[in-house]
Amino acid sequence: MKKRSFAPVFFVGPHLILFLIFILIPTVYGIYASFTHWNLMNNPEWIGLSNYKTILFDETSTFYNQFFNGLKNTLIFVVISVPLLIVIPLLVAVALEHKQIKLKGTIQAIIYIPGLISISAAALIWLLIFNKQLGITGNVFHSQVAWAANQPYAWIIIFVISVWGGVGGNMIIYRASIAGVSKDLYESAEMDGAGSVKRFFSITLPSIRFPLIYTFVMTTAASFNVFGQPLMMTDGGPRQTTHVLMMYIRQLAFGHGESIAGMASAMAVLLGLVILVVSALQYYVMSRNSN
Amino acid sequence: MKKNWIVSLLTVFIVSIMLSACSNGEDKNTITFWTPLTGDDGAYMDQIVKSYNETNPEFKVKHVVTADMYTKISTVLNSGKGIPDLAIIHADRVPGYVKQGALEPIETAISGQPEIKEENYLPQAWSTGNIGGTQYTVPLDIHANTMYYNKDLLKKYSVESFLDDNVVTIDEMLSLQGKLDEGQYVVNDALLGWVILAQVQDLGGDIQENGKPAVDTPVMKQAFENVKKIADAGLMTPFGEDGYLMFQSGNVLFSTDGTWTSTAHAAVEGLNFGVTNIYSPTPDKFTNRASSHLFAMLGNEKRTNEKEAGIGAFLEYVRENSMEWAKAGQIVASKQVIENPEFQNYMQSFFTANQQEIDSLYIYTYEYYPYVAEAVDTYCADIVRGNVDLDETLKTMQKFVEDKIAESSKTTTN
Amino acid sequence: MSKKISISKYIAYLFLFVVCFIWVIPVLFGISTSFRSQTEVVSTGFRLLPVDWTLENYLTVLGNTSTAPILRWMVNSIYIAVFHTFLVIVVISMTGYGYSRMKFKGRDTLFFTLLGISFFPGVVNIIPSYKIIDLFGWVNTSWAMIIPGLAGMGNIFLVRQFLKGIPNELDESARVDGAGDFRIYYSIILPLIKPVLIVCALFSFVGSWNDFLWPVIVYTDVEKMPVTAGLLLLQDIYGNYRMIGQLVGSALLAIIPTLLLFVFAQKYFIQSINLNSGIKG
Repeated sequence: MKKRSFAPVFFVGPHLILFLIFILIPTVYGIYASFTHWNLMNNPEWIGLSNYKTILFDETSTFYNQFFNGLKNTLIFVVISVPLLIVIPLLVAVALEHKQIKLKGTIQAIIYIPGLISISAAALIWLLIFNKQLGITGNVFHSQVAWAANQPYAWIIIFVISVWGGVGGNMIIYRASIAGVSKDLYESAEMDGAGSVKRFFSITLPSIRFPLIYTFVMTTAASFNVFGQPLMMTDGGPRQTTHVLMMYIRQLAFGHGESIAGMASAMAVLLGLVILVVSALQYYVMSRNSN
Repeated sequence: MKKNWIVSLLTVFIVSIMLSACSNGEDKNTITFWTPLTGDDGAYMDQIVKSYNETNPEFKVKHVVTADMYTKISTVLNSGKGIPDLAIIHADRVPGYVKQGALEPIETAISGQPEIKEENYLPQAWSTGNIGGTQYTVPLDIHANTMYYNKDLLKKYSVESFLDDNVVTIDEMLSLQGKLDEGQYVVNDALLGWVILAQVQDLGGDIQENGKPAVDTPVMKQAFENVKKIADAGLMTPFGEDGYLMFQSGNVLFSTDGTWTSTAHAAVEGLNFGVTNIYSPTPDKFTNRASSHLFAMLGNEKRTNEKEAGIGAFLEYVRENSMEWAKAGQIVASKQVIENPEFQNYMQSFFTANQQEIDSLYIYTYEYYPYVAEAVDTYCADIVRGNVDLDETLKTMQKFVEDKIAESSKTTTN
Repeated sequence: MSKKISISKYIAYLFLFVVCFIWVIPVLFGISTSFRSQTEVVSTGFRLLPVDWTLENYLTVLGNTSTAPILRWMVNSIYIAVFHTFLVIVVISMTGYGYSRMKFKGRDTLFFTLLGISFFPGVVNIIPSYKIIDLFGWVNTSWAMIIPGLAGMGNIFLVRQFLKGIPNELDESARVDGAGDFRIYYSIILPLIKPVLIVCALFSFVGSWNDFLWPVIVYTDVEKMPVTAGLLLLQDIYGNYRMIGQLVGSALLAIIPTLLLFVFAQKYFIQSINLNSGIKG
């Protein structure tokens, strides 16, 4: 009995200590900061719920408007990008499972490479592609639109670069998961005359349901933190319609003037709560449906 | 086989722990010098530091370029450790840092250097570091918003006369309406926020009144309307397109970017360009909104008096030997450098050719300038392109600045 | 039936071809941009291939060994990423085993609490994080890059999910035979989760390679920096990209090691697990 109670400490303990030091303490500090006035340099000064009151209830405040505009834009990004980041890599992974497909490694590499390129270089390449004078859209497709400055095009270029750079990770999770599905299952299904669509829904999807839940939850959480793509592609424009919450938060904390880090922390905590609720719901619904 | 691999990994691991533990002593005879000078600028500064160190000074300088220097400064000031001895900061940071008690007066460092004094520097670069009678910084340069012009295009449209009085007016630009080939434009929208802030000066206005921010003002409105006229006439590069690249492509007459981009423009073969002042609503006045790179000492109790004297010696060396910095395209602040005939080889010497030009380099010193600039940068493109209602947006901007000031001034200094 | 297979094969091929085509064009365009002079980059009109191929961008980038020693940075990054990844694999396999296969009180509550906490965006957290690193004396050392990332929950979550899909029978029968937790972990679970560990290794390696916000704060010495943070030093402070070809070229150079790792690793993570009955749905 004693021996068994020590084992979990051995397996889970080391990570728990790391988590405590490198995630819990900084996170708790960040939450504490959200109840303070702080410019990053001084000692935070406790002001209770004041930051939250301003953000959530003071309709005339700039911070109220920033928070809700940022949250709205972030939600737009999440709702559109997450399905794309799940479905496209899943389809690619399934297509790659086809026995007769050749060059699997090359195809996989082509789809994975964009995720390796740094966001600033990737944005530069895509901005050139969408440039009317120098790029593909203007010269090959004769598009007269300045993509970054007009909706819905501004959103489209953000989704394009996000999906282009983002599908590789989920693709290899699905590949690794599907590779683990027993071939016997497919063969017996084939014997029974099940078509590929049927096999996908009755064998593949149920077999990879746990990794699938993982990709849903983590892709959503990551999408809520979106920052680099809108910053580089549209800088939040036009009319701040692509200005996501993380951009406002970072500007408040690390902008040009004196830092307003307490307010930024409060917005970050609220964003964290939204992520928490959404991912808990996702996990709950998907786990229940898959059992 | 597999085990061996793991064992060897662990060995390297442990050895490297020991190595990293050994290499951790900062030399007390070294001046740690942080700058935000990324790109080629860092290399020019490296060269200055290197040649200074070759003179075998008592305190050698170690130059550290940092991509996100201001965040890093907040971090080390907050933790109280690893604070650099000397740093280069931008002009608009000075009032805030002084208020927050982050800067130490530079006076102790330069007290042994009689030549480091106001008369030997461009006046506005020097005075921007003077808060309440105390000198906190010594300037390296002024870097300004400037207007490059494409010589070939000016000739093509026979408008070289625009340059005669050194000021291109908005009316002159508007006179080209309907006369340009398709795909060519009079001016781009690079650094548009800086251009707007120059217009405010040209109209005799300011961004503050008795210390209160003044954004929603008739002058600001006029400034936006003037620039909007150019956009409305179809003379500005289209919204959302890269006007900077369009200038380099040779399709734009004027580009309103910075002194520092002359090196990049020069890398484009066949781009025949010159430099002049930012356009103005009136031929009587012109302003080039500027900033300055300033040497400053962040609060650090460990810095000895001897080291501060060493910093002074380095600053004196820079004052005498910063011609190298002109290569970065910047207007060197030391008069000894800009009065040297060699400085005439650099395009930016245009801005030190006479007193009127020097006076046109305008550095905002208002305490809350960064918030005003942020508001202008956030909203200017949509205003100029007519995407938003001007009056309403000016109100929003005013509120934006006031809300930020209210939040920041609640914080007390250490 | 064979006809059915061939139709689905063509559909699969068509889909993969379209996706690959869209995905590869920007990469090719990026590569070709890195072989163009600035003059050519800004000259109007679109060409996939450069008119005059020039190596100048790469020569400039590689030739700068004082302010931007890119090869040195890559060596630093490899060192950091290899050690980080190695430790990640040790930590996540053990912890993932603990949270999915061991029975202890409050196991799932603890796991979901930790996962939930890790979802809070860490914006101002760099200040306390820096202080912690400073406390350990890790400022300006690679430990600041190698160790804190081990605390992350993402990979552990993935391992846990993966293990949930593997039936308990194997380890339960081993347990009945008297095997201890370490035996079960080492000789049964580890081989089973090898594909997902390789995926996690790849993620950790790439994640550590591409991190740039944190290293900018913890490093001061140029020669100690990892490559992604170092590349930021090539850019202009006003965000004006002066030399497009150089910037894209240096970014492409920086992905070569991660790309090689991927090519090497992809053989392994798609290996099906044929241990007994493998994974049943």
